[in-house]
Amino acid sequence: MSLPGSNVGNLRNVRTSLSLLGLLYASVLLAGLLAPYDPTEQNRDMPFAPPSRLHFAEPRGTFRLRPFVYRVVSKPGSFGEYAEERGTTYPMRFLVRGAPYRIAGILSCTRHLFGFDEPAKVFLFGSDEYGRDVFSRLLYGGQISLVAGLLAASLALGLGTILGGLAGFYGGWADEICMRVAELFLALPWLYLLLAVRATLPLHIDPVQAFLFLVVVIGMVGWARPARLIRGIVLSGKLREHVLAARAFGASDSYLLRRHVLPQAAGVVFAQLAVLIPQYILAEVTLSFFGLGVGEPVPSWGNMLAAAQRYDVLTSYWWMFLPGIALSPVFLLYYTLANALHQQTARLTS
Amino acid sequence: MMRQVVERSILRLAGTHVVHGRWGPTPSAFGSGLSLAAARLAALACRGRGRFSRPAGARLRLSAALLAAVLAWAASARTSSAQSAEELLVSRAEIGHQGGQLVVNQRAEPKTLNPITAVDSVSREVIRCTIADLIHINRDTQRTEPALAKAWTVSSDGRRYVLTLRRGLRFSDGHPFDADDVLFSFRVYLDEKVRSPQRDLLIVGGQPIGVRKVDQYAVQFDLAEPYAAAERIFDSVAILPRHLLEQLYTEGRLAETWGLGTAAAQIAGLGPFRFKEYVPGDRIVLERNPYYWKGDRAGNRLPYLDRLAFQFVASEDAQAMRFQTGEADIASRLNAETFSVLAKAEQTRSYKLFDLGPGLDYSFLFFNLNDLDSKALPETSRKQSWFRQVSFRQAVSAAIDREAIVRLVYRGRATPLWGHVPPGNKLWINRSIAQPGRSLERARRLLQTAGFSWKPDGTLVDGRGNAVEFSIVTNAGNGERSQMATIIQDDLKQLGMSVHVVTLELRALLDRLTGTHDYEACVLGLGGGDADPNAELNVWLSSGGTHLWNPEQAQPATPWEAEIDTLMRRQLTTLSNSARKRLYDRVQELVAQNVPFIFLVSPNVLVGAHSGLGNFRPAVLDHHTLWDVEELFWREKRSSATP
Amino acid sequence: MRYLCWRMVHGLLVLVGVSVLSFVFAALAPGDFLSEMKLDPRISPATVAALRDRYGLDLPLPLKYAQWLRSVRRGELGFSFAYNSPVATLLWPRARNTLLLTVTATTLAWLIAVPLGAWSASHPGRWGDRLCAGVTTALLVVPELVLGLGLLLVAVRTGYFPVGGMMSARFADLGPWGKLKDLALHLFLPASALILLNLPILVRHVRASLIEVLAAPFIQAARARGVPHRRLLFRDALRAAANPLISLVGLSIAALLSGSLVVEALMSWPGIGPLLLGAIAARDLHVLVGTVLCSTLFLLVGNLLADALLYLADPRLRVDQA
Repeated sequence: MSLPGSNVGNLRNVRTSLSLLGLLYASVLLAGLLAPYDPTEQNRDMPFAPPSRLHFAEPRGTFRLRPFVYRVVSKPGSFGEYAEERGTTYPMRFLVRGAPYRIAGILSCTRHLFGFDEPAKVFLFGSDEYGRDVFSRLLYGGQISLVAGLLAASLALGLGTILGGLAGFYGGWADEICMRVAELFLALPWLYLLLAVRATLPLHIDPVQAFLFLVVVIGMVGWARPARLIRGIVLSGKLREHVLAARAFGASDSYLLRRHVLPQAAGVVFAQLAVLIPQYILAEVTLSFFGLGVGEPVPSWGNMLAAAQRYDVLTSYWWMFLPGIALSPVFLLYYTLANALHQQTARLTS
Repeated sequence: MMRQVVERSILRLAGTHVVHGRWGPTPSAFGSGLSLAAARLAALACRGRGRFSRPAGARLRLSAALLAAVLAWAASARTSSAQSAEELLVSRAEIGHQGGQLVVNQRAEPKTLNPITAVDSVSREVIRCTIADLIHINRDTQRTEPALAKAWTVSSDGRRYVLTLRRGLRFSDGHPFDADDVLFSFRVYLDEKVRSPQRDLLIVGGQPIGVRKVDQYAVQFDLAEPYAAAERIFDSVAILPRHLLEQLYTEGRLAETWGLGTAAAQIAGLGPFRFKEYVPGDRIVLERNPYYWKGDRAGNRLPYLDRLAFQFVASEDAQAMRFQTGEADIASRLNAETFSVLAKAEQTRSYKLFDLGPGLDYSFLFFNLNDLDSKALPETSRKQSWFRQVSFRQAVSAAIDREAIVRLVYRGRATPLWGHVPPGNKLWINRSIAQPGRSLERARRLLQTAGFSWKPDGTLVDGRGNAVEFSIVTNAGNGERSQMATIIQDDLKQLGMSVHVVTLELRALLDRLTGTHDYEACVLGLGGGDADPNAELNVWLSSGGTHLWNPEQAQPATPWEAEIDTLMRRQLTTLSNSARKRLYDRVQELVAQNVPFIFLVSPNVLVGAHSGLGNFRPAVLDHHTLWDVEELFWREKRSSATP
Repeated sequence: MRYLCWRMVHGLLVLVGVSVLSFVFAALAPGDFLSEMKLDPRISPATVAALRDRYGLDLPLPLKYAQWLRSVRRGELGFSFAYNSPVATLLWPRARNTLLLTVTATTLAWLIAVPLGAWSASHPGRWGDRLCAGVTTALLVVPELVLGLGLLLVAVRTGYFPVGGMMSARFADLGPWGKLKDLALHLFLPASALILLNLPILVRHVRASLIEVLAAPFIQAARARGVPHRRLLFRDALRAAANPLISLVGLSIAALLSGSLVVEALMSWPGIGPLLLGAIAARDLHVLVGTVLCSTLFLLVGNLLADALLYLADPRLRVDQA
């Protein structure tokens, strides 16, 4: 056996990744509950506050199980320099009342999982240039970015698989046309189309809707790349002995595609999916540069990273890259899942 | 009466003399023709008027000094032979020594080296170093000073200018310069077929300036109507080499000449540097013009630097990094964030940073007050019933936390604004404009008087019960503007207004502002150019193209816009500076009362330079750093190329 | 040979299609070259209108296209409003620089990706494979601009490399060896940025294809017969996995080209990237179409090379074509 692990181990992989991803989507869905603050709340006297330190031990050395914080104030006359006021302690409280929010857009609620008494502010991941809580924004940001990434990637991959599969399988004219159009699509200046689409959208629609609309466009024009890859697989796949044999036995085209050819492409499809989702989430960083990202003050992972790519942030405010670092395990999860699924299908087809 | 006239004439001459005095004529500078010129100057000046007002004490001293100088001129004119020596302008700057190369970052490539057609600021910045104008605005003092014209006189009605040119000058290819080059240049700029963007500046009172040659070294300019500060229009109007361009001009090929691919020998100018080489996409190198017409007090010819290289660095961050490592010697227009990063490393690196205080730029929020087709844009035209109310605009202005913008967006390196003349413009600002602090109370009162009310959940509604909701557009790629919009949005949320911020790519934004008028509110900035009110004529005249809230009106839409029109037109033809100032003060008051623009802040001008650079005197006027490039020098001998 | 001609005709069709659609998109996007001038208080609307006329900005689209085609026939590839010069003269020196950067980066990226992917595929699930997956995922998360800025920051802090640009100011004074060294130093940062950006995708594909092949019966059989692992991996498995990978070569060129857009602009590499970004911002229509056509051309050539390789590598295709 050259395949890694046993069948059971692989299934376990699928299960863990799936449940972790489920947990991720759930926490993003419940952002309002988990986030201590409203993602748009500005604390103008606390720009670029570093991540708050949770304390367990008091200065006198008494250990407390319930974490507490000190209030952080900016040093007078400085920008972005802070000191803790060691006078009073503010213990962490659970299920506190705070900014109102909605769960899944329906359930109205004001309880937050944890919080601290005013005037102490707790920024687990620091604060941004307006003094907004990066941790809260990260949770809320996932609501848009995870959906957008998945949406665009599945659109691109869906179209790509169909067109690439057909082109590879039938060959001849269909193939020629499909591949020339793919080349066309790979080369076109899509940014212009997006600018045009943005220009036709009215200004007062919700920034999230505007962005999702653009995401659909990006997804639909992104089929060329996966299509070329899948065509390559199908092209060689349809010439394999068992496929040829099946054809000789009179199997129909659709049966061959479904049963023998496309499953061979599954590995590439899944690998592509794991690559495309991060790419589409990050595409917003570039789009933001041209004013095509999610508009302020709504957070998304893309626009949070876009705001971070500045020289001063890079040298002074490292926590602004926490969104990027937090994305890494998410993408790794997708990757592991794709891998495991791939092996699973490989096992079934070979 | 008579006495007054004489005193005026003295003052007039004192004016020119003061300018000469600042630069100091060289002994050889006044050759034979001068006795004539001086006589004509004096004669004309008797009819002229004092334009350079000075305190009374200074006047007396100056007039005495002047008499002596006039006598000295006359004497030297009588004694010197009829040779036409080079009339160098003598710089009063610190004496340096020649050599070395200066590397400057440019955010984009220049597009052309042609001063006639160049419109983009990047090209103009490079071209500025290769050209000279007749009368120049000193970027430091913000006043005019002699350049190729060593002196000038104004007729009493302010409509005729006679400029006396320096003698014996040569273009950078060694060809001599005289009045014919000036005539040719203005013929080109004024030719409608050439379509030079400079043409609009040279139209006064609806008529192009009349240009006539008096003699080989004197040119007369006639204006259709008196024009305040007319000598300022000569600034940056490059004098072209007739010997190189006349043929092309008659063939109608002028617009295509002097592109970046042109051979260096075919380009010449009167500026301190001349074109040497262009590496596509990478850099453009200028070299010292050996025939330049300025010298220092030690008798050396300027410029000091051997070479001036512009390297193209698109990203602002990369520009700052190159400056930090010493791969660029000058950093212009730093933003507050990179400035703070560079300031942290200042100790360990060999550069100095300068915060010059508020410049001439100002940013503002404005509402769409255009006459809209209510069918095409029903939403916006409905909202205009709010925007058109002065108290609504005043309420928005009262709710904006300008201090927060200064602190958060500009790291404290900006000044909050309530009027359109920023504090950097010291000559023209009206200091009596009220500067009320942020007050949500006042904002609420203003909204109440305008018939707005609040729903129980805090939403602001108008008299008809519509929730107040609008979008603010601004251009993407300008972090500061979108940050300001985000802060304003949060400020207005506290008034119960629901505001969307939409960042659009610049051209898309401009298309909405000046084309379709499909926007509700916008954050933008203006400024730059010149401190004089005339530079902003098209912003404040209701017929102007950059009268942004409602451009190119046939008739002023409101009484206060009509009054501003009248005031701006009056100041245009008023020649007394103090009277102009009074008129412009009133314009500033009207603007502040009616808040067509809700002013936000004026950012400080932040620059930096290698600490070994001598004579580096950054200015708040545009082209903050290279305006005195001919005087820059390296204090220590450096290898002619920086690594 | 006939196949080659066929491909060239097709390529031409693609180029025509790209140029037509570029014109259409550009017409759809709001604003034009002179929009910004309208905001300059010193320039009157009448002058702007006259310039619009001169540049033919108000012509209907088909006429604009016809105008451009005429200029293509003259070998000028259109006329840049901003530069006031033919596009071809702007394009060629920059295309050369972009080619230098992308070819270097593509070659190096593949040279790294193939052994890395192969090694990862032959030890699936082990810590090395996991580490490789972790690192590549981390790289995938980094946006181009952040990566570029980070590399530039390294250059600023260490001083080993120049902060962007293609040659130093004293390039002309250097000897041939010095020139080469100078160029290599300048090439290092942008090339590393491009390699790091594309490595994760390449490694994953190499790994995925090889794992598939390694599971195939013929490899299993060879392994059973005692063929050494290394030979198996790099000779037999890699050859069998070549098909999808070669298709990827063409695509990786496209990806590098689009990635090089941002990297070139950030690192001031004088390629077509900054030119294209400038043309987009300035709505310099013909420069835009020219640069897009230029990268299409690179792409087509890349694909052609990939297909030629495929043809050589996969004997079945040769039979099929013949």
